[in-house]
Amino acid sequence: MLKFSFCGVLIALLGVWALAQAPVEITVWWHTGQVAELEVITALVEEFNASQNEIRVRLVNIPEAEYTAQVRAAGLAGKLPDLLDLDGPTMANFVWNGWLIPLDPYVSDELRADLLPSIIAQGTYPPDGKLYAIGMVDSGLAIWGNRNYLERAGVRIPAGVDDAWTLNEFEDALKKLAALPEVEWPLDLKLGYGIGEWYTYGFSPIIQAFGGDLINRTTWRAQGTLDGIASVLGMTLFQHWIKEGWVVPASAGDDAFYGKKTAALAWVGHWMYGPHSQGLGEDLVLIPMPKLGAGCRAATGMGTWCWGITSTSKHPEAAWKFLEYLLKPENILRFVAANGAVPGRKSAIAQSELYGPDGKLRVFAEQLLTIAVPRPVHPAYPVITSAFAEAVQNIMAGADVYEELHKAAIKIDQDIEENAGYPPFGG
Amino acid sequence: MHVIKRNTQIWEELAAWCFLGPAVVLLLVFVVAPFVMSVILSFTNHRLVSPLPTKFIGFTNYSRLFQDVSFWQAFKNTGLFAAIVVPMQSGLALLLALLVNRRFSGIYFFRGIYFMPVVIPMVVVSVVWYFLLMYPEGLLNAVVRVISLGKAGPYDWLRSPSLALPTIILVSIWQGVGFQMTVYLAGLQNIPHELYEAARIDGASAWQQFLHITLPGLRNTHIFVLVTTTILAFKLFTQVEVLTQGGPLGTTNTLVRYIYVVGYRELRVGYASAASVIFIVIVLVISLIQRLLLREEREVT
Repeated sequence: MLKFSFCGVLIALLGVWALAQAPVEITVWWHTGQVAELEVITALVEEFNASQNEIRVRLVNIPEAEYTAQVRAAGLAGKLPDLLDLDGPTMANFVWNGWLIPLDPYVSDELRADLLPSIIAQGTYPPDGKLYAIGMVDSGLAIWGNRNYLERAGVRIPAGVDDAWTLNEFEDALKKLAALPEVEWPLDLKLGYGIGEWYTYGFSPIIQAFGGDLINRTTWRAQGTLDGIASVLGMTLFQHWIKEGWVVPASAGDDAFYGKKTAALAWVGHWMYGPHSQGLGEDLVLIPMPKLGAGCRAATGMGTWCWGITSTSKHPEAAWKFLEYLLKPENILRFVAANGAVPGRKSAIAQSELYGPDGKLRVFAEQLLTIAVPRPVHPAYPVITSAFAEAVQNIMAGADVYEELHKAAIKIDQDIEENAGYPPFGG
Repeated sequence: MHVIKRNTQIWEELAAWCFLGPAVVLLLVFVVAPFVMSVILSFTNHRLVSPLPTKFIGFTNYSRLFQDVSFWQAFKNTGLFAAIVVPMQSGLALLLALLVNRRFSGIYFFRGIYFMPVVIPMVVVSVVWYFLLMYPEGLLNAVVRVISLGKAGPYDWLRSPSLALPTIILVSIWQGVGFQMTVYLAGLQNIPHELYEAARIDGASAWQQFLHITLPGLRNTHIFVLVTTTILAFKLFTQVEVLTQGGPLGTTNTLVRYIYVVGYRELRVGYASAASVIFIVIVLVISLIQRLLLREEREVT
């Protein structure tokens, strides 16, 4: 009898101990685009799970094309995971819907000071000034060049952001490069990516260099800004490059610059580092964005996929522990090795071979600290980007620049009006 | 006797409902309910996701739609697409069916070849054509160059406002024609051989046989092919989304794609619902007209 009850107590105690020890399970969503990125994330999850007993991370992969739609559906149904990765500019809309929680209580001063300013800019929600998303990396947009062609055409290769090409130099370079026998089109603008986020990410810096923008960021109205003289000037220039026959046509395939080598320059982001360095080797140079604007201004894009903790998560602390693990400089660097992106922490940049003082991609980091402009952090962003991308597509095909930008501006303002100005914005 | 008859009647009715039941439930849930919902939503400012409450805004969505140039362009493109594709695809399908409705060795090979594109998913077909249509070095441009002895081309099939829609039409017909061919083939094989024998004895030429036996014999097949091809033509979406994304200058945008972009990319469900209500009304009117015309034909028989 005594023996029996002793056993019972032991079992009960064991049960309590097991309960206390049972790991907290958190679900993490990841958009699967590039295989190399997925491999690193999967490995990091496995290593994190193996390194401790309190938290078990369950990674769910969702294809990139449908990812944002899936998040919205889950948000509607109240079935969001604990931690999810999201494309930078969609954050504002998610916060507005109340799906994300501020990360400020978790972020140490040391970490905050170490994050790239661009990561904080893109992750901060203007109405309350709080940080809702942190990226392991940031993106870089500049011009990749073929050194062999540039030297033979006698074009100066700028060393850094300060001595970037002016508009005249840039167009002069395009003319000279077009004259080379191997070059069919001097510039690849990746028009073949098709209508979508690339058009906004890649080409809104042109209007920003002239002082224009997608939307006025204090009044949150597009009319007068997106269809203003500065923006019209910028997109007219873009159309001019296409009309001159300097730009690789959308249907010519992806590899004009790095495969067939019929293009001399490629205006595209960090994500092409892999194919570009394989295709061009030592001939690959990275050139900062040209100073297109009247006051000799240049602009570039920023922002990429980042992490946010959801408001429905029962274990936000556990989610943060895993995010903190991802944000360790050594883990950021493993991720950078897979996709060539700019490390999101200054300490990681200092250790990076690609981004350090003599790194091949140093220009990206330099640009992020000087001339990068975040895409509007506003809940109307889905409409802003869709309207602008449609305008870009039509301008590409030869439509009237003002008409197209005006149409896009009206569409954006109409949407904001329909949503009562997206309170607390505009209030 | 009377009672028994009544009993069987009840059983027959019950059986009929049992057979009908699943279909009726599915139709109610997946066709009628969404339609009623989109009519209701079309009078609101409903968003796909939003913390703000949905408000009734009367006919605002409709009055905006009537001023929306992109909507009417998509409408015009869809109509043009259907007007060209329906007769061309049906005609070509009949021609192919006549060709493969013969007895010689290897005929199954040809039937299979023509039918193959139908089995391949449209997305795959579109991606393959994307490569064939590349500019300036795609296969199609190479063919054009060889045939024209280097005088014509290269053409940017998908990015030139005058070529993009014809190219989409070509790809669509190539992919879909095998299906209608099979339907016509079945129709052809239902025509009694005696009719042709009798005609030959009477000294009718092949053309006369086609005109007076084959064509009338295919009347019901024509009806089926016409109706299905029209509906498929109005549903045009996949090839456009993959090949041109509605461009250039909106010359290949279609109603379904317009509704998709407004509703899912821009989250404006209320506005997209208004567009789909108009779309449904258009398709309904066309189907009614077709039915009226075809019913008359049936009465003749």
